[in-house]
Amino acid sequence: MNDLNQATINAFQLLLSGNSGIWEIISLSFSVSLSAILIASPFALIIAFFLAFFQFPGRRILISVFNTFMSVPAVIIGLALYLLLSRSGPFGDLQLLFTSKAMIIGQILLSFPLLVAMAHASFQAADRRAWETAITLGAKPYRAFFTLAHEVRFGLIAAVVAGFGRVIAEIGCSMMVGGNILHATRNIPTAIALETSKGEFSHGIALGIVLLVLALGLNAGVSMVQGKGGLHS
Amino acid sequence: MSNLISYKDISISLSGRLILSIDQLAIPFRQCTLLTGRNGSGKTTLLKIMSGLLKPDSAHIAYQGLNLSWRQAKPYIQKDIIYLHQQPYLFDSTVFNNIAYGLYRNGENKTSVHKKVNQALEWANLSHLAHQPANSLSGGEKQRVALTRARILSQSLLLLDEPTASMDSESKQQTSLLLQRLNAEGLTIIISSHESHTVSHLIDRHLHLENGRMTEINNASQNNKVTPFKTTKNTLTNE
Ligand SMILES: Nc1ncnc2c1ncn2[C@@H]1O[C@H](COP(=O)(O)OP(=O)(O)OP(=O)(O)O)[C@@H](O)[C@H]1O
Ligand SMILES: [Mg+2]
Repeated sequence: MNDLNQATINAFQLLLSGNSGIWEIISLSFSVSLSAILIASPFALIIAFFLAFFQFPGRRILISVFNTFMSVPAVIIGLALYLLLSRSGPFGDLQLLFTSKAMIIGQILLSFPLLVAMAHASFQAADRRAWETAITLGAKPYRAFFTLAHEVRFGLIAAVVAGFGRVIAEIGCSMMVGGNILHATRNIPTAIALETSKGEFSHGIALGIVLLVLALGLNAGVSMVQGKGGLHS
Repeated sequence: MSNLISYKDISISLSGRLILSIDQLAIPFRQCTLLTGRNGSGKTTLLKIMSGLLKPDSAHIAYQGLNLSWRQAKPYIQKDIIYLHQQPYLFDSTVFNNIAYGLYRNGENKTSVHKKVNQALEWANLSHLAHQPANSLSGGEKQRVALTRARILSQSLLLLDEPTASMDSESKQQTSLLLQRLNAEGLTIIISSHESHTVSHLIDRHLHLENGRMTEINNASQNNKVTPFKTTKNTLTNE
């Protein structure tokens, strides 16, 4: 128990002293996950909107495909991406395996179904009159889309935050296609796994604290935003 | 008489049931038309088709000297015809921003938008509500905001879906006064309504929907809810 206390104290010291190794890992984690979410979100939101607002053949099938993919484990997506990117795979020539770009691609794939499903639910719940009102007041369809997105912004923000929460903490895919290479592809979850297996508990705990604080912060942020949205609706 | 727009062969089926089948519907300039029909007779459906919001199975449209299919006409009618929902939808923002919405879509600059919106707020006697969240308004106030938001765009045709349904008599009166002034300003208006009496003094023409067909109820038939002549209209045009 004493060991654990000591390790926790050391963990805070590591974080507060600005230990460059730890903060490098943290910043890699954030830059990979934020990139993934920033790339995935616009496409996911537009697809979600089309699924919610237009009738077209294959629509129902697409919705259930996204719902199914939402529950595919990260490690399976990592495996599939590994096979595609490995030297003998179809995209081997791109030499992306074990780079942070591969991690970004993996996290895009991982977050996409969740983003679509949650944004779809928000758009589905949106009032059809909002769209019609925007159009009849002279908005072009792309503009009416932004108006509608603004009307359901709280749900969309929750979707994006949930997507970010999923990818920042996932380990399976980052480990498979990133390879946990120091200074290159080591992010928070893969570092925690490694440090803990080496017995370096204070490193593991320090990074764990970052994830926990982040999770708490995101949850608090989302419930604040949603509470605000509930006021008028 | 020249028409602002005319529709031909409108037909639409929903869930396999024929809802509307209308051979000819011409809308003369500056007239105020009352559209009646039972619940489910297709009034909302018709108004949405006319304003480009709902795709019919077929419809042809003569507009601005062009003969167009509904699909070809859609961008024009979406822009030039304003449809107001039975329960108007106000965006989750202030009253001011709601009224400004269409002006910004027209690409107007901030100064001109502010000027016009403030004038419009005064016109509709809504200035005191300018910075209220639109969702906090009463039903009658929402309806007046929606009317003002439509009027500010100076479009020529306004389609109103039961504008006075579920309003108390004072709101009804205020709304009908606004409508009267809009019509006096030269707007062509179509109003769907159960209760023709609240707007009867505005009405130039009365159309009735039944079993998907449209009939014109003319003055000679002496529908006692619809006064044949506009009794009070002219007294208010000059204010
Ligand atoms: N999306 C839809 N799918 C199937 N049927 C529909 C759809 N929308 C409307 N209908 C049917 O079309 C008919 C006409 O509806 P509409 O809303 O136009 O009537 P209305 O005259 O406006 O009625 P109310 O006075 O109640 O507003 C109704 O029988 C309705 O059930
Ligand atoms: Mg209706």
